[in-house]
Amino acid sequence: MKFRSVLVPLGVVVAAAASILSPQVASAASGQALVGTFKLNAGSCAGYSVGGTYFRMIFPNGNVKTGKFFDNPDSLCSNKSYTLAEPGADGGLVTGKYQPNPRPAFNAQGGSLANLIVQPQGFTAINFSIATNRIDPQTGKSVPAPQIINTKGKLSGQVEAWSAAWNKLYFNQGSPKPGGAHPGLTLPLSGTYNARTHAFVLTWTSQVVGGPFNGFTGYWHLTGTFVPSKGRG
Amino acid sequence: MHGGPGSSPEVVAPQVPQLRRRWAVALGVVGLALVVMPLAFNMFSAAPKGAVMMAQFKPFMTTTRLDGFQQDLRVINAGVRQADSGVAAALHGESQQSFDASFPTFAVFDQQWPAIDNTMTTLMDEVQGNQGNYEAISALPSFRLFPWFFVIPGALLLAIAVLLVRRPTWWRRWRAVLIVLGVALIVAPAAFQMFARAPKGGQMMSAFKHIETTQNVERIQGYFGTMAEGQGAIRLEIVPALEQAGLAPAQIHSEFPAVASLDAQWVHILNDMTPMIGAMSDNVANYQAISSLPPFPLFPWFFVLPGVIVAGVALAGGTSSSARQRVTATSTARSVPTYQGVS
Repeated sequence: MKFRSVLVPLGVVVAAAASILSPQVASAASGQALVGTFKLNAGSCAGYSVGGTYFRMIFPNGNVKTGKFFDNPDSLCSNKSYTLAEPGADGGLVTGKYQPNPRPAFNAQGGSLANLIVQPQGFTAINFSIATNRIDPQTGKSVPAPQIINTKGKLSGQVEAWSAAWNKLYFNQGSPKPGGAHPGLTLPLSGTYNARTHAFVLTWTSQVVGGPFNGFTGYWHLTGTFVPSKGRG
Repeated sequence: MHGGPGSSPEVVAPQVPQLRRRWAVALGVVGLALVVMPLAFNMFSAAPKGAVMMAQFKPFMTTTRLDGFQQDLRVINAGVRQADSGVAAALHGESQQSFDASFPTFAVFDQQWPAIDNTMTTLMDEVQGNQGNYEAISALPSFRLFPWFFVIPGALLLAIAVLLVRRPTWWRRWRAVLIVLGVALIVAPAAFQMFARAPKGGQMMSAFKHIETTQNVERIQGYFGTMAEGQGAIRLEIVPALEQAGLAPAQIHSEFPAVASLDAQWVHILNDMTPMIGAMSDNVANYQAISSLPPFPLFPWFFVLPGVIVAGVALAGGTSSSARQRVTATSTARSVPTYQGVS
């Protein structure tokens, strides 16, 4: 009994200390899930200035700041390492549900036909695109629907299901990766949110695990306006 | 207690059971070695990885696909050479510098291409040279079964050895089983043509030693990026420049067929090569697991040697006991016989 009477207050103290020492957990818990559509601004280039929604691919052993970046000859930018995105049929990324690949997922040339999140874009002559699927097509693992949390203007969450399709191949580009890991340069989703204008910026990196681009890292930069689902403010 | 139903009593000298126990212990050691070997060599982990590697290489290790890769490289080479010579002359006359300045991405690719072509062609030659070796290995039973080929006979041998240590008088009955087991171990490698195929597997493993490395895969990934940029420059800069210079697509096709062919076949080349790079990349760890196993050419002997020992011991055990029996029978012809299995 004595042992128990010591243990209970000790547990309370430990829990209190954990909540103080772990502000991320506390803030995530106090954040607001943004359920709706993150409507994307199309990517754009003006000289060396790049805005809107775009994607870059970093070679193995590179880094986010200096690369080396993969140059996509089909890029519309003078800096070919930026592949611009255009909003898809849904306008962008929908949280709380999946935006899966169509069937078939590819045309005869291997170009992706997924067009809900973004429109297929040329990547070295073959179209690539994005989808979120209940079962990640590269790993075969079950993944949750995207979730994004707003905590006082800071965005966090997960896009584990974010999957690129290209050349009849799939590349998970989520963060975290299916199963929750953050290998290599994979960094958690982060960003900003203006509650008044609903403008958002979302970024994350995701290292490709397996396949021809094993070890490459995708850098994702999404901007636009969040539109809540009906019934949500 | 008798040895079992139908067993006939065997007349043996008193020292024979002790000798047979020793033979049984020897068999037990061989059995234990067979059981332990896959564990010692980490075969239960490595062999399935080998099976995965073989399965993932299968779509690429055909004459059609391998010839196709070589053809892809020839198409790229011809296109690059023609762009650098005929097209450059058509667009910029004698001034190669002017052409390079107008198409800097292509110029960089053009400089890097000979090294890329040489490396990739050499690599494909090596892979193609090992097609027969790959097929030889594929014809063997699945890698997944390999550890069990040791464990099952080993466990059986161990069980028989334990039995014979406890019941040395049962030797004669189990002798035939031991001989069969020994002969099976000797014959199995021959039946599976392991003596011919395993060395070929060894050759393939040696050839892939420099191919299946992270460093090599990353180098090829880099080449892929360079080729994509170079082809992009042809497709999106040089061919449009020819069109702006007044050439219709049909004229470009007839005057610069290699450039047109590279443009037309580029997607097919990507369809072809990208999955191969993926298979190479995905199997670096699998290759390394397999290469940590003993050299392939030794594998048949891992069966034959224990088989010879088992069959030899079984025969020797029987022979010596018979000999001793004869000796014993001569010297103790009128003594009271000892019956097998009497406890």
